[in-house]
Amino acid sequence: MAMWALLSGLRGNLKAYEAVLRDLRRERVSTLFILGDLVGPDPSCHALLERLRNPRRGELQPQCVVGWWDEQLLAEWGYRGRSRADGLRAAQGEAAVESLLNAVDQADMAWLANLPFGFRELDCALLHGSSADVSDSLSSDSSPLLLLDRLTRMDVNRLFTGRSGEQFCVELSGGLDSNLQHLAGVEEHHQSVPARKVIGVGCVNPGPTAGPSTYCLYNPGSDQVFFQQVVAQRGFA
Amino acid sequence: MAIAVLSCLHANLAAVEAVLADIDQLGLDTIICLGDLVGYGPQPNEVVELVRERGIPSCQGCWDEDIIEGLDACDCSYPSQLAERRGQLAHHWTASQLKAENRDFLAGLPFSLRRGRLLFVHGSPNSQHEYLLPDMNAFTALERVDSAEADTLLCGHTHRPYVRRLNHGSIRVRVQKPAGAATSSSNLASSEHQLDLPLRRLINAGSVGEPRHGSTKATYITVDEDHDAVEIREVSYDVERTCQAILNAGLPPIFSWRLRHGFEYAERADDAAHVCER
Repeated sequence: MAMWALLSGLRGNLKAYEAVLRDLRRERVSTLFILGDLVGPDPSCHALLERLRNPRRGELQPQCVVGWWDEQLLAEWGYRGRSRADGLRAAQGEAAVESLLNAVDQADMAWLANLPFGFRELDCALLHGSSADVSDSLSSDSSPLLLLDRLTRMDVNRLFTGRSGEQFCVELSGGLDSNLQHLAGVEEHHQSVPARKVIGVGCVNPGPTAGPSTYCLYNPGSDQVFFQQVVAQRGFA
Repeated sequence: MAIAVLSCLHANLAAVEAVLADIDQLGLDTIICLGDLVGYGPQPNEVVELVRERGIPSCQGCWDEDIIEGLDACDCSYPSQLAERRGQLAHHWTASQLKAENRDFLAGLPFSLRRGRLLFVHGSPNSQHEYLLPDMNAFTALERVDSAEADTLLCGHTHRPYVRRLNHGSIRVRVQKPAGAATSSSNLASSEHQLDLPLRRLINAGSVGEPRHGSTKATYITVDEDHDAVEIREVSYDVERTCQAILNAGLPPIFSWRLRHGFEYAERADDAAHVCER
């Protein structure tokens, strides 16, 4: 069965995206999912968005979801009611908000505003953050109970996330006994969890000093996850 | 020491008076309210004033929040479009009746109250609108209690009283990450451990003013912390008095019909597939 490629964290960097596309030519990939953070304070942002909308001949048409950076931009432009890019402002200051606004053409906003929150494909949720929120940063250190909750919210057995930028696979299984007392009496319950997984897909553009570009491949037929690194692209801007 | 916990009073004065009388008869002088003082019922001012007079610590419920913040605060709790329209009618009627000082009181209510390892909320620690139903996923129930750093979470909102004891459980956790500059599944760092889950308790106080558990009686709960005992109590009250007041106020007659039956099934039958997108 052909694999899925799952990317996140492009943050406007066209060269980083092109490097991943070159890497993908070596693999048998049927579907390309981009789990958010399409935009960022990169001068090539508009060109990247144009490429995502209009892939070159032979390239896969990416299926994109909205990410944290995309949400910040949409909020600052007024697409999210009274919210503004408060998260970005608090984390990186006013200059970062300005850079982001300057990097993206107004003409791109309508397309960004129509990006879905996530996809549900087979028994997999494909999201930027989690089923709770786009800013939810799931990692290999997240509480197992919290990870199970995020899976349960979408009633899936696999959840792919990009927000933390980390590559990881946490597999969870177990059981829990409880009893329920109500006015009619007491009932005993047992809840079991089949092997469920939360998978961090990595980050295509972690920044010039933060390590290599990473993404992951997933074979939905065999349920195998392959963590990929684009080592040759180390240091791209 | 035992405490009484009540929720979802819903402007039903006769029910609130009966429950407070029952609590007084038990000799309990610590009472905590989990919100929804107003909405649906015909006596919003009287109920808020009674809670204020008795000095009952209260959380803010979803109706209390909506009355202050406007209907946009709603994360949608209505089971059908008809129910939503009736709910909006009740919202506007309540907003028009509520005195300024009672509105200020509702606006000042906290989202949650804490008493040692007991946490009191209206819906869940995440939202006043989230339903923690009796048959919900046990792991999710445990996550809600544990993430709030409580041993016992007391909530309302569902109008169905219950005690869920989350007893024995564990989660097997296997973590895989790339090892160094690995690019294939064969070069993975793997670790495995078992997480033994803590014992936790989720208690729902039901509803004083609009029971939906199948009986017309008001419900609340008592918690004896010293003896680790919880009792769900049902209290009869003058249902007809409230039903007549609902009709006199011009509120939707189905609200009085519902009180007489103790269910919400009439509205569920309207449009079972409805999902509010507001």
